[in-house]
Amino acid sequence: MVTPMTIGLMIFYLWPVAQTFFYSFTKSGPFGGHTWIGTANYRALLDEPSVGQAVANTLLYTIIQLAGIPLAVLLAALLNQRGLRGRSVYRTLYFLPVVTMPVAVAMLWRWMYNGDYGLVNQLLSVIGVQGAHWASDPSVALYALAAIGIWMALGYNMVIFLAGLQGIPATYYEAAAIDGAGPARTFFRITVPLLSPSIFFATVLTVINSLQMFDLAYMMMSTPGSAAGTANPALPRVRTISYLFYQKAFVEHDLGFGAAVAFVLLAFILVMTILQFRLQRRWVHYA
Amino acid sequence: MRTKPGMKRRGTRLWSSSVVVGLLLSATACGGGAADDGKVELSYRIWDKNQMPAMQRIIEKFQATHPKVHITIQLTANQEYWTKLQADATGGSAPDVFWMNGPHAQLYAANGMLLPLSDSITSGRVKPANYPEALTRIYSYQGTQYGIPKDFDTVGLWYNKKLFDAAKLAYPDDTWTWQNVADAARKLTDPSKGEYGILAPPFNQENYYDTIFQAGGQVISPDGKSSGYDQPATLSGLRFWTDLMKAGVSPSLKSMTDTYPTQLFESGKIGMYYGGSWNAIEFAKNDVTKNDVDVTVLPKGAKRAVVIHGLANVVYAKTKHPKEATQFAEFLGSKDAADIQAQTGAVIPAFTGTQEAWITSMPQFHLRAFTDQLAYAVPFPGSKNTDAWQSKEAAIFGPAWSGTKDITAAAQEMATAMNAALREEQ
Amino acid sequence: MPDGTTVAGRPARRLGTAATHLVLAAGAVVMVGPFVWQFLTSLKTFSETTHVPLTFLPSEWQWSNYSQVFDVLPFRQMFLTTVLMTAGRTIAQLVFCSLAAYAFARLRFRGNNLLFGLFLSVLMVPGQLFLIPQYLIVQDLGWVNTLAGLIVPGMFSAFGTFLLRQFFLALPRDVEEAARLDGANPLQIFFRIALPLARPGLLALTILTVLWSWNDLMYPLVVSTDPAAMPLSAGLATLQGEHMTDYSLLMAGSIMATVPMIVAFVVLQRHFIQGIAHTGSKS
Repeated sequence: MVTPMTIGLMIFYLWPVAQTFFYSFTKSGPFGGHTWIGTANYRALLDEPSVGQAVANTLLYTIIQLAGIPLAVLLAALLNQRGLRGRSVYRTLYFLPVVTMPVAVAMLWRWMYNGDYGLVNQLLSVIGVQGAHWASDPSVALYALAAIGIWMALGYNMVIFLAGLQGIPATYYEAAAIDGAGPARTFFRITVPLLSPSIFFATVLTVINSLQMFDLAYMMMSTPGSAAGTANPALPRVRTISYLFYQKAFVEHDLGFGAAVAFVLLAFILVMTILQFRLQRRWVHYA
Repeated sequence: MRTKPGMKRRGTRLWSSSVVVGLLLSATACGGGAADDGKVELSYRIWDKNQMPAMQRIIEKFQATHPKVHITIQLTANQEYWTKLQADATGGSAPDVFWMNGPHAQLYAANGMLLPLSDSITSGRVKPANYPEALTRIYSYQGTQYGIPKDFDTVGLWYNKKLFDAAKLAYPDDTWTWQNVADAARKLTDPSKGEYGILAPPFNQENYYDTIFQAGGQVISPDGKSSGYDQPATLSGLRFWTDLMKAGVSPSLKSMTDTYPTQLFESGKIGMYYGGSWNAIEFAKNDVTKNDVDVTVLPKGAKRAVVIHGLANVVYAKTKHPKEATQFAEFLGSKDAADIQAQTGAVIPAFTGTQEAWITSMPQFHLRAFTDQLAYAVPFPGSKNTDAWQSKEAAIFGPAWSGTKDITAAAQEMATAMNAALREEQ
Repeated sequence: MPDGTTVAGRPARRLGTAATHLVLAAGAVVMVGPFVWQFLTSLKTFSETTHVPLTFLPSEWQWSNYSQVFDVLPFRQMFLTTVLMTAGRTIAQLVFCSLAAYAFARLRFRGNNLLFGLFLSVLMVPGQLFLIPQYLIVQDLGWVNTLAGLIVPGMFSAFGTFLLRQFFLALPRDVEEAARLDGANPLQIFFRIALPLARPGLLALTILTVLWSWNDLMYPLVVSTDPAAMPLSAGLATLQGEHMTDYSLLMAGSIMATVPMIVAFVVLQRHFIQGIAHTGSKS
């Protein structure tokens, strides 16, 4: 019964990891052929400034994404109030970005972020704020990108938390009400601790997904391929590890270097995930 | 790629094939393959959908005289063309005949991916004199010709007549110099109305390569071994643009990233634009530009120059039918094929004397400006691995265009990076 | 329920509800507003999109932007490719994942722990680590630009196996035991008893696979280069590459590519939400 899946995973997943590992110690010519170059790719990782910058970009992006979690908890708590009307309507609307193709989302936001004709700056000008070129200004583009990320994931996290909230027995709240606890106290003393397994799950998932961020960054930064080829001035400050991987392996055809970049990504995911599982003992309460 | 232990590789292939055969209900894998009854199947890969009908007509004409040959067009998206071609060439499955461009020509030629076309020339079936000399040179590597020019493009000064009229300025013409451009740009700029005199993006072919050559500088040394970015003349060609950026007569680099320069020009609020001959067809369709703009030759610097780039048809070195593929490539370079291309207006055909149809295809624009410049056209610079250094230009020059870095330092940095890349090629 | 415990609590509660609605509605505007803007832009002319100050409504509704998408992209083919790719991956995953998951949940066989450990390790590894060899395999098989190349690697999933295993583990064993005593073999038990009971899990996997498959970008970008063989995600990326910043066209194209999934969601939203919620509670 496990044979088809095992074979499939072996061919397309397990064996490829070994192959990628092998490639990371080679250099490929423009038209094929691998030469064993030892750890040269890994040493080059340290020398190339774009790698360090990509790591920094990715980590910053990931940290900002985590801010979306408390927001989703709060929204879920608001939505979970008893007798709230229109709950399913809200839930549907908040969930909409989750089912929308990230490529389309990025195109849409790139247009909203347009420095001269974008809706965001238009709305800001109404309240007298001078907007930026959100998608091409190196100093703001990553934050603008992270905002899209939060916007996209909000509905997903909210649904996870709603499900978690519905698992909290009403008796806890009744007891709190009898003790005279206000909404804030109830939220921090009951909701958050009892929801902590869901919060933990969402955090782990958010970190893993954010570290692999590609679609949004790729679509926000890509510039038309005229013969000249130009680059978005914000690219160095937005390029994620995953983007760098794609660029090195599939645009510049440097499979070996790309493979090494992929292992950097793996290292970060492993470290961050292990770290979270370590830390969970301190704050996650399993009922 | 893939020179891992051969056994294992074959193993992987067999394994996955059998799994797939077992799992897939319908055979979705590609079929194809040629029958061996004297029929010759050729594939021809291109990237421009707009040119597909013209290419199809050329093929029909060729097949009429070569009944045993059947040619199929493979259309690949522009962005992915080189990725896919490189992969296919690696795997030995590149198309028999395909489009080649300047930056990739030497890479493919030097790595033995292209069939030399020396016989076509020595036999007189292809005459280099029929094509602009600078264009033919792009497709010659170490004295051997690898491509037959298909079409070409040059750059001209597009200008918005309405804005010039409003500012009471005379239209640009062939007497203009760099100074005229800077002066007019200043007078046409009115940030309060969102109007700018010129677009000065850091594009190489349309912008700084032209001015570098006009200043008497060079991008790469004639022997292809060293960068020209550390020469004073080259620097002044770059500085022409960064000065315009500094003067505030162009939209910012950020604006030109958010909205592509041609589209800013099409919004009718830009006075001048160094744009390609390829823009004509789009400008002829746009509501604003179809009436309001015209084009002239590039203004003069220390001397006159314009970058010429163009495509060529090349034959894959490992084609199974070198004879027929070469015949087809020769036909693609013929006057007959050029005439068919000219009618579409999409490109300027390379065959001398066939350009008239293109020039008259959009009479509202002075398209002759693009062919008038052939006399002093300079080939698009390239080396064995052009991408390796050209892809660094945008990132290094960007900050100089934004004003956060001095152009002298940027040019020096580019020269260093380029020289390092060129050393790798040797 | 402690509803209205004090008389004074009522107005306060009503005020609280109003504030809740205010916050939620403001949030909803932020969530939906961009889509409205996308739709409005898709109906404008190019010069209208670059007009300052911006106009909110198109002066004339340019439905032709939508038909233009068919001119610049082989949209019908891309749509069909996306549907077939999504269906192929999903159906295959349902079959293979449920078989493997059941085996891991119920059967004892030699090396099952080792094998399960291997599956779990795949779960931890980011897709980028598989991509280069997957691409080379696909290329070796001559599957670049084919449906097979798009579908086959996506037919197998360690995540799906793990997800369904959790569902099978949660099923009561006694029915299966009874069937076994009646002489049913494991496959019969799997198909007749376990599978029907695990329907919520299958549904969750279906929804997640469909979503992932429809929206995924990097893999299709790598294995399809011919627009005629691309799914919609890669097709849209190409559209942006070639039509630069012609936003009315881009918005029309992106709406056309996303509407099917949005409609599916609105119609089946209870299942979507349950499917997502399940992954949260089961993992």
